Amino acid sequence: MTTTTEIKMCVEDLNVYYGSFHAIKDASLQVPENGVMALIGPSGCGKSTFIRALNRMHDLVPDVTVQGRVTLDGEDIYAKDVDPVTIRHRIGMVFQRPNPFPKSIFENVAYGPRIHGVRSRKRLLEIAERSLRHAALWDEVKDRLDKSALELSGGQQQRLCIARVLAVEPEVILMDEPASALDPIATSKIEDLIGDLKKDYTVVIVTHSMQQAARISDNTAFFLMGELIEIGPTRDIFFKPQDKRTEDYITGRYG
Amino acid sequence: MAALMLYLAYMGLQLFFIDHVNPLVFLFSPNFSPDAHHPGALVFILGSVFVTLFALCVGGPFGVGVGVFLSQIAPPKLATLMKPAIEILVGIPSVVYGWLGLTLLAPLIRHSTGSLTGFGLLTAGIVLSIMILPTVISLSEDALRAVHISMKEGSMALGATRWQTIWSVMLPAARSGLTVAVILGIARAIGEALAVQMVIGNSAVLPKGLLAPTAALTTEIVTDMGSAQEGTVLYHSLFSMAFLLLLIAMALILGVRLAVRRSS
Amino acid sequence: MATANLAARRRTVNNVMTGVLWAAALSIIVLLAFFVGYILYLGAPVISWHFLTAPPSELAAGGGIGPEIFNSFYILILTLIFTTPIATAGGIYLQEYARPGIFTSAVQFCAESLATIPSIVMGLFGLLVFVTLLHWHFTALGGALTLTILNLPALMRVTQEALQTVPSTFREGSMALGATKWQTIRRVVLPSAIAPLTTGIVLIAGRIFGETAALIFTAGVSVSAGRSAYDFGLFHQAETLSVHLWYVHSEGLVPDAAQVGNGSALVLLVMVLIFNIGARLLGYALHKRLTGK
Repeated sequence: MTTTTEIKMCVEDLNVYYGSFHAIKDASLQVPENGVMALIGPSGCGKSTFIRALNRMHDLVPDVTVQGRVTLDGEDIYAKDVDPVTIRHRIGMVFQRPNPFPKSIFENVAYGPRIHGVRSRKRLLEIAERSLRHAALWDEVKDRLDKSALELSGGQQQRLCIARVLAVEPEVILMDEPASALDPIATSKIEDLIGDLKKDYTVVIVTHSMQQAARISDNTAFFLMGELIEIGPTRDIFFKPQDKRTEDYITGRYG
Repeated sequence: MAALMLYLAYMGLQLFFIDHVNPLVFLFSPNFSPDAHHPGALVFILGSVFVTLFALCVGGPFGVGVGVFLSQIAPPKLATLMKPAIEILVGIPSVVYGWLGLTLLAPLIRHSTGSLTGFGLLTAGIVLSIMILPTVISLSEDALRAVHISMKEGSMALGATRWQTIWSVMLPAARSGLTVAVILGIARAIGEALAVQMVIGNSAVLPKGLLAPTAALTTEIVTDMGSAQEGTVLYHSLFSMAFLLLLIAMALILGVRLAVRRSS
Repeated sequence: MATANLAARRRTVNNVMTGVLWAAALSIIVLLAFFVGYILYLGAPVISWHFLTAPPSELAAGGGIGPEIFNSFYILILTLIFTTPIATAGGIYLQEYARPGIFTSAVQFCAESLATIPSIVMGLFGLLVFVTLLHWHFTALGGALTLTILNLPALMRVTQEALQTVPSTFREGSMALGATKWQTIRRVVLPSAIAPLTTGIVLIAGRIFGETAALIFTAGVSVSAGRSAYDFGLFHQAETLSVHLWYVHSEGLVPDAAQVGNGSALVLLVMVLIFNIGARLLGYALHKRLTGK
């Protein structure tokens, strides 16, 4: 396990446009390996737009233009000969609202390995158990793996979605406000889980809650109106912000 | 509506209550001789089932495929361009489809297969396949568009290709809507009268193959109603066929309801 | 490298399937273009002023389709006169007034079932009621009434869908000014829904124009003999153009049936195109006038 700060992902001069609307302006940052980086800022500041650029989710939507360089282990993920599908295999994503497929719990977790070529049922069961255990959901669902995932509670569904991502063994996990639709108890379970995940994965998480960012992240980036204002170790951002605007936000002077 | 049901039921059942024809003869005998008091309608029932199945096997996957294309793949501009084209396909009268089958398809089949007339199950099936396309396309497109975008994102974020996403997530998630699309396609196919009548050959015999002429419930009604005398066994048996078609339509609607209910 | 192979295979499958779906979709357009082109090719030589206006012939060649065209429009207009008020009223009731309950779902169920009943079955029902029971024989009115029943559900649905496009804020805005529910519907909701409503009605009109199976045994397969070609008689036989196309092929005796058929098919197709394009243009124009854009 690495304790030094290897750089996992690197973003240089990223610009994102929705049609003619300039949503991200010249953002550059580096994501250290095996840590949690939080992206904070008021709603509409572009933090979700930013995180979706990190695994080329914008490719799915027409009228979105992404410019700049995003590298994973030094390789430009927007290079011409790079298949976005393999990029998303290496960089998984958990969304704001839990989005389990309308299939059984097992099928949800087995989906990823299956599409990547795992056929054996025994192997799939192993992967499912390991991923569900890792997502701290195994004990709650082990007796009903064949039940529909939609029967689970919101918090369980979100942990299932995390297990689903773990099952494809990505290197980076992006999370777009993964707890915003959950109650406080479910939220704290997700937060514990994230703390656990950073041992094996690099995590980038968008959150609207500064407390959450303070609790779980090692580094924090603050966005405002499409601009990356400040980035640094979470402790520094919260206790000695360099920029006036960061300070205003931290102290609650923006909505 | 109720009046219509009752009236057609009343007329449709006269064959059994007034003419005392055994319903089993009507349903299962391939020998249609109303003058001899033996109106077996099996040929027509099977004819309807065959052409419908054919249309379903060809037009169904094709229609769902185009629905997938319009909802998942097509650039928005192309999709808006194709919508009116599909509406025009709906609007073309069935007799014009029949006419196309008659003047274009039947000669083609005659020349390429050596069939005597070019009329028969195959020709009727192809015409119907095209006719159910717009129904299946637009309903399956709607069904797929109704699947929440998060399903697609969830799958793509796991590194699935677009096709894997469509096949393993979108289609299963839209299952009930797709079922409705297919059922209404069946309804359109089984109820179509004239286009089929113009190309099926209209002979009341069990077809020996795809190229052989036969008849269906609707086409038999069209062919013989004009000459049927009121009160005869022929007249009554044609109404029994109409009633049977009505029952099939009702069953299909119940199927739609069931499919919709299961999803919610 | 098994994973690299696998990734390549997945990419190939994806590309192939994408290609297949593109081909399927484009073939629809090609199919439509081909149909239109082919019918045009067959029918164009037949079309002349004489063909479009002259009465049909029973035995000799050289008959026209004038009365058939007239009857098609006549029955269409009759049907719309009957259908539109009932269907819009029904649609307004279901969308604006009806509360979920047994009655509403029964109406919905009836409408859905009615929409699935094959038109030939509806034709037989028309035959029973208008021809046999009421002793009207084959009449324009009987045909129009049969088509009325046949198209009510579709038109009701169009009305409902058009009303659904009106944002509820419009209704709230009007009600907040003290307007009654009916005033709101009449002065705010209906005018805002007029564009999709018109488009829907014209599209259905196109379908009524081409309807055949329900008319063969209700409006008849010949034009009233000995009368003027343009016959407004409600109780006279009124063969429409689409019925004529079927009739010349199936039962007709004229030697030039193929020509008459080709010409009729072309006129029908052109009418359908006019209805479809007209519906769009009309809807667009109304929308533009309403929103001022």
